[in-house]
Amino acid sequence: MPIAKVNGVEIEFEPGMTVLQVAELAGEEIPRFCYHERLSIAGNCRMCLVEVKPGPPKPQASCALPAADKQEIFTNTPMVKKAREGVMEFLLINHPLDCPICDQGGECDLQDEAMGYGRDDSRYVENKRAVEEKFMGPLIKTTMTRCIQCTRCVRFATEIAGVSDLGLIGRGEDAEITTYLEQAVASELSGNLADICPVGALTHKPWAFNYRPWELKKTESVDVMDALGSAIRVDARGPEVMRILPRVNEAINEEWLADKSRYAVDGLMRQRLDRPYVRVGGKLVEATWAQAFAAVAGKIKATAPDRIGVIAGDLSAAEEMKAALDLFTALGVKSIDCRQDGSALHPKWGRESYLFNSTIQGIEDADAIMLIGTNPRIEAPLVNARIRKRWIRGDVLVGVVGEQADLTFPYTYLGAGVDSLKRFVDHGPIQKEKPIFILGAGAFARPDGAAILAMAAEAAGSMGLVKDGWNGFNVLHTAASRVGGLDMGFVPAEGGKTALQMVEKGGADVLFLLGADEIDLGQTDAFVIYMGSHGDAGAHRADVVLPGAAYTEKPGLYVNTEGRTQMAERAIFPKGEAKEDWTILRALSDELGARLPYDTIEQLRDKLITDHPTFGQIDYAPGHASAAAFDLMAVGEKGETTDAPFVSPVKDFYLTNPIARASRTMAECSSLHAGASKMAAE
Amino acid sequence: MFIKRIFTWWNGATFGALLTIAQRGRYVGEDDFGSKYYEAKTIRDGDAGRRRRWVIYKGYAEPSKVPAEWHGWLHHTFVEPPTVAPLKVRAFETEHLPNLTGTRFAWRPRGSLTRGGHRPAATGDYEAWKPE
Amino acid sequence: MSVRRLAKIQPESFAFSEETRATADWWISKYPEGRLASAVIPILWLAQKQEGWVSEPAIRAVAELLGMPVIRVFEVATFYTMFMLEPVGTKALIQVCGTTPCRLRGAGDIMEVCKTKIGLKDHLSADGNFTWQEVECLGACANAPMAQINDYYFEDLTADSMAQIIDDFAAGKTPKPGSYAGRHSSEPEGGPLTLTDPALYDGSLAKPVILPNQPAPEPVEGGAA
Repeated sequence: MPIAKVNGVEIEFEPGMTVLQVAELAGEEIPRFCYHERLSIAGNCRMCLVEVKPGPPKPQASCALPAADKQEIFTNTPMVKKAREGVMEFLLINHPLDCPICDQGGECDLQDEAMGYGRDDSRYVENKRAVEEKFMGPLIKTTMTRCIQCTRCVRFATEIAGVSDLGLIGRGEDAEITTYLEQAVASELSGNLADICPVGALTHKPWAFNYRPWELKKTESVDVMDALGSAIRVDARGPEVMRILPRVNEAINEEWLADKSRYAVDGLMRQRLDRPYVRVGGKLVEATWAQAFAAVAGKIKATAPDRIGVIAGDLSAAEEMKAALDLFTALGVKSIDCRQDGSALHPKWGRESYLFNSTIQGIEDADAIMLIGTNPRIEAPLVNARIRKRWIRGDVLVGVVGEQADLTFPYTYLGAGVDSLKRFVDHGPIQKEKPIFILGAGAFARPDGAAILAMAAEAAGSMGLVKDGWNGFNVLHTAASRVGGLDMGFVPAEGGKTALQMVEKGGADVLFLLGADEIDLGQTDAFVIYMGSHGDAGAHRADVVLPGAAYTEKPGLYVNTEGRTQMAERAIFPKGEAKEDWTILRALSDELGARLPYDTIEQLRDKLITDHPTFGQIDYAPGHASAAAFDLMAVGEKGETTDAPFVSPVKDFYLTNPIARASRTMAECSSLHAGASKMAAE
Repeated sequence: MFIKRIFTWWNGATFGALLTIAQRGRYVGEDDFGSKYYEAKTIRDGDAGRRRRWVIYKGYAEPSKVPAEWHGWLHHTFVEPPTVAPLKVRAFETEHLPNLTGTRFAWRPRGSLTRGGHRPAATGDYEAWKPE
Repeated sequence: MSVRRLAKIQPESFAFSEETRATADWWISKYPEGRLASAVIPILWLAQKQEGWVSEPAIRAVAELLGMPVIRVFEVATFYTMFMLEPVGTKALIQVCGTTPCRLRGAGDIMEVCKTKIGLKDHLSADGNFTWQEVECLGACANAPMAQINDYYFEDLTADSMAQIIDDFAAGKTPKPGSYAGRHSSEPEGGPLTLTDPALYDGSLAKPVILPNQPAPEPVEGGAA
C-alpha cells in the first residue's frame, strides 16, 4: 500500500483515496463544507486547503486531490491557516450575521469553522447579497441568503434520493439553489437535505424556531416507523420530543432517515391516550386504572379462552408482546396473532423464511435484485436508497414483479402478479453470483399468501439464491414489531384464529389489541380492549382503553426486518396516567390471577432471552449464517393462487401508523403528495 | 415640605433649576400628568446651537412620566411642541404610563407567585385524545 | 450581470419546428445513446434561434427531448448569458462590447446612440423591434469598438455608423456586417505592412522535403486492404 506523510507522520492508505481522506486517517481534521463522504466530490467550497509536497507551492483542495505515494501533506502550516482564513473571509462576505435567529445556530459547520478560521471583524463594507426565499415543500424551510453554494443538497437529491429536483441556477454571485419553478421536493428522504446543509440555508420547517440544539436531551434510540429499525437520536426538551435525527448505522440507514421517521414527532404530542376509559352505556367515560382493570378482568374471566383474541400492532416493542403472550397463553388463549395485515409468514418454516437474509448492507453486494410485491420507496425508503446506491455502481439487474412505481432507478418490469412470478419457479440457476429476492407484504399479506410464499421460495431455490455464504431470500416487512412477534411465536397456537379471523363478525368475544390500528374493526362484535398510545381506529372502537407509551417513552427491544435485535431507550415519560405497556400487562395479570413472573424490565428481558435466545443478540443480524440449514422447499404451503396483482400495503407513505396519522406535518405532506400525484395523473 | 424642596432633587425641581428656568425659560405647555415644559428664550454657548428645553415634574421627579409626544419635543426630535403640533394617536396606542417597576403595579407575568402562582400549561404539553 | 430569472409572461407552449427538429436530431446523433444531455447547449441554442428567446415551455421541451431532468436544463439556461430568458427585439439584438479596449475606442458613444434610439439597456424597445445589451469582451479588440448584432460582428463602429445600422434594421434592410472603417478584417488601417510579398507565405521559397509522416496516397476502392 502507498504511504504518505501527514504532518510528518507516515500513514499507509488505500490507493485511490483523496488527500483529505488520508489526513482523516492520520487523525487530522480538515475543515470542509462541500465535501461529504457519501456524495460525489464537488470541490467548490475550498475550505479543505492543505499544503502538499511535491506539488505547486500553493494550497490545494484536499477533497479533490488524489493522494500519491510518498506525498507529504501538511495541514497545520501557517500557509494553510492563512489560506483557509482567506476562504472563510470570502464565504462570510455574503453570509448574513443572523446566527442568533438561525435554526442552525449551535450546530452550524460555518459557525464552528469560523471559530477556527474566522476574522474578528469584516473588511467588507459593501452590501451583502440577499437571495429570495425558495419554496421546497412542507418539510424544508429555506433562508437562501445564508447559502454558501456548497451544492451538497443538489448532489444529495440527485445521487442518494434519486429525484433531480434541486439545482444550482445562475452563476457567480447570483448562483441560487432552487427547485424547478419552486416545486416541492418529491422525495421521502427530503429531511436529510436539512441535515447535510452545512449552514442554515435549509432547515427543518416543522421545527422552525422551536429549540436550540444545546437545550435538548439526546437519547439514542431506534426508529419504529418502518421495519428497518433505523438508528435515531431522540432530542427532547422536558416532556416533549422536539426532533428526531438519524445516527450513523452503516448496516441500516447509513446516516439518512426517512421523512416519516423524522417529522412524525409532532404526532407524539397529539391524540394521546393519557387516562383509561371504559365504555359505559355506549359512551367511553374516563376511568381510573382500577376501574379499567376491573372491567377488563371481569370480562376476560367471564369469557371462555377460545373466544378471546389477542392482536399485536405494528409499533409494539418485544417486551409487551412477550408479556401479552405469556399472560394469555397462561390463560389458555390460542388466538394470538401479531400479523394484523393478514400476512402468511409463520415461524414454523424457519427464521430465515421471514427475514431479510442478505441484510440491508448486503444489497450493495447483490448483482441481481428482484422486487416481488413491494414498493420499497414507500415501504422502506432507505432500502430503496440502498438499491439505488447499488444501481449507481452499475452491473446489476433489477426486476420488479408487482406495482410499476417510480423507484428512482430504472428496472425491468416483469409483470404484475402471480403469473409473472410463476415463470421463475423452474427458471434454473441464474448466472449471477449474489442474486436476491425482496419479497414485500404485497405478495404474502393476502389470502393466498402462503402459496405465493411457497412459489417465491421455489423460484428462489431454482434460481440459486441460497447457497453457501449467500442467502438472497429476503422478506421486507412494513411493521417494526413484526419480526419480534414472529421470533417469539406471537402467532395462533394449534386451533387458534388468525388476526383476520378474529375480527370477523362472531370471530371472538373479547379482543385484546396491543396498539393494533391497521386492522379493520368494522365487523367485529367483540368486547374490544385497546392498549396503546394514540387515539386512533382501535381506541375509537374500544370498550376499554388502557393508555400505553409511545416508542419514545419506553425502553424496548425491536427486531428489524433483518432479524437484528436493537434496544431503544426511553427519552421522555409516558403522558398523563399512561404506563409502559408491559407494566400494564403485569398489573393486569395480578387481577386475572395469572401473575407474570417478572417485576422489572430486566427480569422480563431475561425471560424473553431465555425463551428466545435471538433477542439476546443485540445488533446482530444473522444474514447468511444459517443459509446451509435453510430449506426453501419447506417455506409456505403450496395451494391455489388468484391472479390478482400484487399491491403494496402502504397506500400513503406519510400515514402508516397512529403516530403519523396524529401528526399535522404528515397530514400536510400527505395532502401535498396526493395533490401532486393527482396532478400527474391528469 | 419646604425642607424637602431644598434638600432633595426628586420632589419637583431643585431651586437652582427653578431659578434658571424662571430666568431663561418660556412656558410652553403642560402634559396630562401636570408636568410643565419650558424652552429657553436664547441660545447660549454650550447649548449645542439649540434652545434648551426643560420639564418641571409635578410631584415625584420621574423621567418616564414624560409622555411620548413631550419626550420627543424635549429631546429635540420634534421642532414643535405637542401643543402646536399634536401627534397623531393611532388606534393601537395605549395611554402613557410611567415605569411601574418597583411599585405595587409592576407587571407580573402569568404564573408569578405574586399573581397567585397558577402556571398555565407549558408549551410542551400534549393534546389528549377525547372520545367523541 | 444580475440575477437571471425566467420572464414573467410566458407563452402557452413551445414546439420544435420541423427544421429545428431536423437540426436537433443531427446534433443528438453526434452523441452516444444515454449521453444525450451533452446536446443540451446546441438544442437550447436551436430553441432560441427558433423563438428568439428561451421560454419556460422551451426549457421543458428541451428537457423532454433529451430525457433530462428539467432543472438540469434550467441550470444551463440560467448559467449562460447567451441564452435570453426574456423576449428580445424581433429585428435586432444588439450586444455592444463594453470591455476596456472597446470602451477606450468609444463604446460609450455607441451605447449612447443605442440608448437614444432604442431605450434602456436590457429592455425591449417600445415597438418590440430592438433590444440592446452591454456585454463583456467579444474578442474583436483589434476592431474596437464593436457590437454583435444578431449573428454577426459589426466592427470599427462610430456613433454615426451605429445610428445608420439601427435605422437600416428598422427599415427592414440587412446591413453588411464587418468593419465599418473599410478594413477587410483586422489588418492595419490602410493595408498590410508586413508579409507584403506573397512569396513569403505561399511556400514557393521553401525547400522541397519529404515528411516522415506524410500521408500515403488514398487507397483505391476495392484495392488490397
